[in-house]
Amino acid sequence: MSESAVAVRGGRSWRLWAFVPLILLTAVVALFTAGGSSITGLLGENPPAPDEFDIRRVEFHPGEIRIRVTNPQRDDLTIASVAVDDAIVPFELDGPRTLSRLRSSEIVVQHDWVEDEPIAVGVTSSTGIQTVEEIPAAVQTPTASLDSFFGYALIGFLVGVVPVALGLLWLPSLRRAAPEWLAAFMALTAGLLAFLAVEALTEAFELQAALPGGLGGAGLVLLGVAFSYLFLTALAGRLGSGERTGGGGALGLAMLVAIGIGLHNLGEGLAIGTSFALGELALGTFFVVGFMIHNVTEGLGIATPLSEGRSVSWARLAALTLIAGAPAILGAWIGGFVTSDLLGVLFFAAAAGAAFEVVVEVTRYVARKAPGGLTSPHALGGFLAGVAVMYVTGLLVA
Amino acid sequence: MPKFTRKGLIAGAAAGAAAAPFARLAWPDSAEADPSATHLGHDHSHATSGHAAMIGPDVPAPGGPNDLDELLLPTPALTHKPGRVREYELLALDRTIEVAQGVEFNAWTYNGTVPGPIIRATEGDLLRVKFTNGGSHPHTIHFHGIHPANMDGVFEIVEPGGELTYEFPARPAGFHLYHCHATPLKKHIHKGLYGAFIIDPAKPRKPAQELVMVMNGYDTDGDGENNFYTVNGKAFYYAKYPIKVTRSQTVRIYLANLTEFDLVNSFHLHGDFFRYYPTGTGDQFEYTDTVVQTQGQRGIIEIDFANTGLFMFHAHQSEFAELGWMGFFHVTD
Repeated sequence: MSESAVAVRGGRSWRLWAFVPLILLTAVVALFTAGGSSITGLLGENPPAPDEFDIRRVEFHPGEIRIRVTNPQRDDLTIASVAVDDAIVPFELDGPRTLSRLRSSEIVVQHDWVEDEPIAVGVTSSTGIQTVEEIPAAVQTPTASLDSFFGYALIGFLVGVVPVALGLLWLPSLRRAAPEWLAAFMALTAGLLAFLAVEALTEAFELQAALPGGLGGAGLVLLGVAFSYLFLTALAGRLGSGERTGGGGALGLAMLVAIGIGLHNLGEGLAIGTSFALGELALGTFFVVGFMIHNVTEGLGIATPLSEGRSVSWARLAALTLIAGAPAILGAWIGGFVTSDLLGVLFFAAAAGAAFEVVVEVTRYVARKAPGGLTSPHALGGFLAGVAVMYVTGLLVA
Repeated sequence: MPKFTRKGLIAGAAAGAAAAPFARLAWPDSAEADPSATHLGHDHSHATSGHAAMIGPDVPAPGGPNDLDELLLPTPALTHKPGRVREYELLALDRTIEVAQGVEFNAWTYNGTVPGPIIRATEGDLLRVKFTNGGSHPHTIHFHGIHPANMDGVFEIVEPGGELTYEFPARPAGFHLYHCHATPLKKHIHKGLYGAFIIDPAKPRKPAQELVMVMNGYDTDGDGENNFYTVNGKAFYYAKYPIKVTRSQTVRIYLANLTEFDLVNSFHLHGDFFRYYPTGTGDQFEYTDTVVQTQGQRGIIEIDFANTGLFMFHAHQSEFAELGWMGFFHVTD
């Protein structure tokens, strides 16, 4: 028996045999569909479809409201009537009136909406079910102009690039620090990355929960986390940060930290851009300053591994800054102009996966390098300090 | 990523442009060549070009012209002849009807429409209403008026497939209504089982252009609140197809309220006044341009239009008006 199994294994025929279950599945599905809804007939009647729309985005332009709706259910859904503040309004459609599953349409309503006042839009299906979206305050949606393009870039630059660059300036100080303190700062990096990972994961789950069921559940988040975690694991192997301890290793680890932070900043920029575009966020001085303080520790996280190795050129420092900070600009653009909760879920999931992976890398590094290892007071204190610093500075932008 | 709350964003809100609730109602310059359009009493300046107008062909209202004629225009009153038999047949039917443009409602109807058919008799006629229940639930007909207890449509529940003939003399003269009185009452009424019931007085009313208007609402998503309001069953119908009347003759409207869920409904006429006779039972009237009715209340309105042109009428609850209870008279010489 074992001999024959060995004889069969390794040939090419396994590929053909792999089709057998698929072919049978197709046959069974075909039979079932041909049989109609006989099972439902045995069990009783199917409940009616909820017929609720998914209102994805409400934009306010001068004299005009644009409502993007998606059909989240299996059955078709037809847009019959539109109301603004409980008043039926004439509307035009940019897209189909009857939406099949996950299809979208944009409803355009001519309406003299009132700045800064709450407003509710309702979309009624042909079956009379009304889906209402309440907007706490109507503010004009930024349109894609050169001004807003630079505006979002500036936001991303201020909350992403600037703090990372400033944080990197801790490098000369770190180069002079005692080894146990260096270990403390490495642990601090791990702590802050762990904080970012948890935060990103929470955000990903929250966004995912708001997605229509048809776009998948929590598994989507796992997909993003796993993908970025494994991608960074593979990258870590290539950069050789794991085994060697030379300059390349230090730079490699710094690069990994930068990528992890960059992915996080992509999500952060996306969230800021989306919230601002949808009138959910006041971009005050305090907010931007809060983010700068919150994110300056990210620069510290990149600087710490660099302080181990040989001196690093300015060009490399600039590249690391851009890798970690510039995605915030990209995120702000995407969030401001496109707004997709689906992208948001994937970005935050990817950010979480990347941050977790880098936490693992940094922890290994600390375990190897720290005098006294992972359980030294400096390593433990550093990690906790990293989490605490992120939490406290995070309050500035809460 | 911290969650962005909107604390402080609403605070200090600058006063925006004042809302112009009826701005969209402005008459489109191109849609109507009729010179009477100039009578429309609304400020055109608010209408941004491209705004669809809530009058005429572009109004989102279901149905075609004359679709509601049977519910709007009663058959003429017959002269007083005591003992004459007036026979009607009412059939309860479950039907899906279009109550607002593109919006279907699973209604319970008398004879397929909401409201049901107009029942008209002259005081002293013997009414014989044969009721057949073709619906899927038990129903009755409860007439307002004076009749024996066993003709009241409360105790004699007609099961699906069953039938019952209501028979009683028509009195008192006035404007009344009928509706299903099976329980749960709220469900049976808001599903659409009601209609207008006119009893003409022995001494005929003076000739007039007679109209029937039954005010109602529809809760299409079952949350206990109406999504649409109408007269005679279709939202914005008379905004799309204004009611044509002439100035030379009195316009008499039999107005009843059968709106479920809301405490009251109302009728307001633009650009003129009318005489309102509560329940249509006496000669006392109020000279006004706005009347309020609770569910089951009704009365007779008589308008002698002073001017020609387009005159709006609607519920003077702005919300009802903007959810479908709005229309126009087109008054010509």
